[in-house]
Amino acid sequence: MENTTATWPVVRGDCVPGNPESRIAVVTLASHMEPDVNAAIWGSCKTENLGAEKIVANVISNSNIRYILLCGSESRGHLAGQTLLSLYKNGIDENGRIIGSEGAIPFIENIDEAMIKRFQRQVTFIENIGLCDGGEISRIIEEYKNKGDPFPEPPIMFQQPSSRCLFSMDEVDADVIVAENVFMDTSCGLIYEVD
Amino acid sequence: MFRFKNKQEIANIAGVKIGGNPGELATALAGTIFYEGHSIVEDKNEGLFNRVKAEDLINTQASASDETGNPHLVHIFGNTATALTNYVDFVSEITDAPLIIDSPDAAARMQVAGYMEEIGLVDRAVYNSINMSITPKERDFLAESDIDSAIILGFNAVDSSFKGRMDMLENGGGLLDKGLLEIAIECGITNRLIDPGITPMGNGSGISLRISLAVKAKWGLPVGSGIHNAPSSWKWIKEKRKVDPLAYRMCDVGSAVLQQAAGGNFVLYGPIENASLVFPLCAMADIILTESAPFENLTSSPDHPFHKLI
Repeated sequence: MENTTATWPVVRGDCVPGNPESRIAVVTLASHMEPDVNAAIWGSCKTENLGAEKIVANVISNSNIRYILLCGSESRGHLAGQTLLSLYKNGIDENGRIIGSEGAIPFIENIDEAMIKRFQRQVTFIENIGLCDGGEISRIIEEYKNKGDPFPEPPIMFQQPSSRCLFSMDEVDADVIVAENVFMDTSCGLIYEVD
Repeated sequence: MFRFKNKQEIANIAGVKIGGNPGELATALAGTIFYEGHSIVEDKNEGLFNRVKAEDLINTQASASDETGNPHLVHIFGNTATALTNYVDFVSEITDAPLIIDSPDAAARMQVAGYMEEIGLVDRAVYNSINMSITPKERDFLAESDIDSAIILGFNAVDSSFKGRMDMLENGGGLLDKGLLEIAIECGITNRLIDPGITPMGNGSGISLRISLAVKAKWGLPVGSGIHNAPSSWKWIKEKRKVDPLAYRMCDVGSAVLQQAAGGNFVLYGPIENASLVFPLCAMADIILTESAPFENLTSSPDHPFHKLI
């Protein structure tokens, strides 16, 4: 069984892959530090919505990852660290709101409940919010990088849905299309909405 | 280049006019001061900072505004009510420009908005922002206050598509009992500035430009954004910055023009240090957009860069 998806990491962001075989991923929250290549992936997480989503996506697509070290400074207001822990402990409600998060806009868009449950089963958090000591972080990575076995299920591929218009160009009679019902007549430069 | 068929509303915030068709009014520009990581801040919780440097930054923006004709606003960011209060006290003494009050902490925003009301600055306050996380307490506060200007953030964290964000504005997208536009009216907001919300590059950063056009086509409201947040979250340019800082700065500053070309009426251009670059750039764009207008009857203000700089 392959433990990582064919292309990994599956979503890009402010993160760098290290050793994909490693058992530990490092989230430095609002802090930027030099990455340690012994971690599977290393990156910041400043937002309580898109940032949290990206971490779930990149973790469940690599079954080797069993631990997440949460370190660095918390992002004020967004509270991405507190939000990640809430997502891990409580999941989301029917509206996609992360239960228990105190962040400003703690909603999940592209990750479904099954993915969150997988995330909850796959990893254990090592809570060290506020830790910025590179030496201590490297020590923790060293301790956990080979600890235990990979998660005994295949990685889950994550694909961001397309946000493009679903209608065909042939269906509309306009020369410039802004949205399904917003057009521009380039002969006179008018932008207008059609009911 | 184009014009909206729908009537365009023009907000008037302490004499600063924002809105209209492309080329009609100069783009209003807001630089951010005391932002996260700003070198002039000495204690971000207490709101202690280097006052000489802060005054210099605000005056540089004001001078650039005088020179080009692009009105300016000062976007004040603070983590706590204490810090924000200190910042407002200071900035309001330096400039008469409108002040955008921004904090990730809703309680801090409300406290400082209330403070501005108490000390007679409420007409200069722009509440940032009314968004999908607005609470009943915040709605009640705004409704009872005299705050009449706010940025309405169209960001939809559950559905960041074009439709999801438009729905958030129009009907709450199934997450709120009504749309943010209606909520803003109930809160007494007459100057509704729409920010479609900038997501990172790779996560739909450009959707905000289409929403800018659609908002103006549908509701005729002033639109703008902090579009510099797109390049500032772009990993490639951040790496490039280490060897070529100018390349990063060019992308950061230059992104403002995209918002202008998409019908934008205001730009939250990011660090106020960039004022000396942003104002000439946006003035240039305003002049070219005015000359691109398809109708002759646009009434540019005499302070428009087209009249001041040509």
